Amino acid sequence: MKITITLAAFILALLAIGAVNAQDGDQNGVAYFRSRAFNVPILAGWEDQSTETVAQFYLAEAGATIRTAIVPQDDILAAAGADLRAAFGVDFGGPGYQDKVNLADGTWTVLIYEPDARISASVMARHVENETVVISFVESDPAGRILMLAVARSDESEADASGEIDAATGRLLDPAVEFFRQASLALPSGEWMVLSAERYTAMGMVFGNDSFLALAESAAEQLPALADAYNRTLLGFFITPDNSTYLALGLAAAFIILGTLVGSLFWRERALRKDLALLQVLAGEDG
Amino acid sequence: MGEKPKLAASDLQIERRPQPRLLRILTVITALGFAGSLYLGLAAAGTDILQGEIQRIFYIHMPSFFGAFTAFGLTLVGGLIYLARRREKWDRIALAGVEVGLAFSLINLLTGSIWARPIWNTWWTWDPRLTSAAIMCLTYAAYLMLRAGIDDLDRRRAFMSVYGILAFVTVLITLFIIRIVPETIHPVIVGASPQNAQGGFEATSGVVMALIPSLLLWLIFMPLTLMWHRVRLENRIEALNRLKTQALSE
Repeated sequence: MKITITLAAFILALLAIGAVNAQDGDQNGVAYFRSRAFNVPILAGWEDQSTETVAQFYLAEAGATIRTAIVPQDDILAAAGADLRAAFGVDFGGPGYQDKVNLADGTWTVLIYEPDARISASVMARHVENETVVISFVESDPAGRILMLAVARSDESEADASGEIDAATGRLLDPAVEFFRQASLALPSGEWMVLSAERYTAMGMVFGNDSFLALAESAAEQLPALADAYNRTLLGFFITPDNSTYLALGLAAAFIILGTLVGSLFWRERALRKDLALLQVLAGEDG
Repeated sequence: MGEKPKLAASDLQIERRPQPRLLRILTVITALGFAGSLYLGLAAAGTDILQGEIQRIFYIHMPSFFGAFTAFGLTLVGGLIYLARRREKWDRIALAGVEVGLAFSLINLLTGSIWARPIWNTWWTWDPRLTSAAIMCLTYAAYLMLRAGIDDLDRRRAFMSVYGILAFVTVLITLFIIRIVPETIHPVIVGASPQNAQGGFEATSGVVMALIPSLLLWLIFMPLTLMWHRVRLENRIEALNRLKTQALSE
């Protein structure tokens, strides 16, 4: 008896403690911005400007913002334009660069907007049912110009992203650029290749069949931190699946089986009483 | 042959004896604990952001296996002691263990299958852990069918004791197979998951805090309480069967 009561008290105490402490049972070791619609990693060291539905992080020394939002529009171009306008109060116009890239979670549209020399926006967007998820990197650093993009690999036999860097810098920065220094850089997001020219710096990282690129004109000091942060946001983005129906089904199954077990005890008890009553009637008749 | 004694009214006094106080306390604690553990798993614990709400089934899925482990373990103990001492009550404990353990292992199997659908994209796969769990369920279901098929009471008790002892091998295989066979996609919570494991999640302190009360409840209180009720019922069923036999023979 004493053991039972002690064990029961222990369980009840654990239940009470558990009710307080179980709240953090979902962190998975990474600090995440969580909204009903999506999750992205929180960027440490960045100013958190997030609201309930939008994840937005700002790095003042680079004049850079990384923003993730789900826009209730089906048209990707319209959704990206509307989100940038709403966030920064600037009409970015049409994209100067547009491409598509297949990542593990679907086909993303890559857009680059450069409305004027003061600001640029690099956007990755894709459909989520009837809405559009827009992950944008916006920089307004007067000292330079930074662009981020993902491209399908042009030659998958190449071990590095040099081919994609050459093609992208030629198209977006300067067709005549010639890189004279090459290095590799290990960042939390992965192993990057860094190419330097007189006015330009380019970083590239191979990821499956694609390469992620970060291109900078002049302002290169912050480029590794920015490229790493944008990449971690892109690769860390995911939508929590809505599978509460399966949970309800699982609970129903458990309750039905437990109910059947407990119910069978009652049912057999009732049957036993009926049989006993019948025997008593028979014994009474005999007597 | 001498004349058999007539069935007297006094023989029929197999009225329900009042439940022992300890059983009443156990029943209340188990019911409250079950409600509390459901609250912890379904409401207090946070939603797993990778798997979504379905991950909460973990707080029933895993403890139910350990509840089955306890119940089948008591079947093993009951069988061993019955064979050594030939006392009926140990056979009844073994039978109660099979019924309760089978219900718990069915809960484990079904909740696992339902969890697998959104996470593994399939209701079922012939993975070593899933296969061994299914074999375990079938082995104990066969125990009940075989038991019903043997009329001679002493033979039935002895045979089922041996069966219950041997059947426990399937429980041990199910428990340890993911530590032995690396080709499994079933993750483990304590220790490193196999290389191919899919759908695992980190056992953070919050998960552990929500799990421990559930685990203790399913491991100790639920099997013991349900088995005790079942044993009491079996006592009365056997007493009634003796009376029926006696009444028919008159």
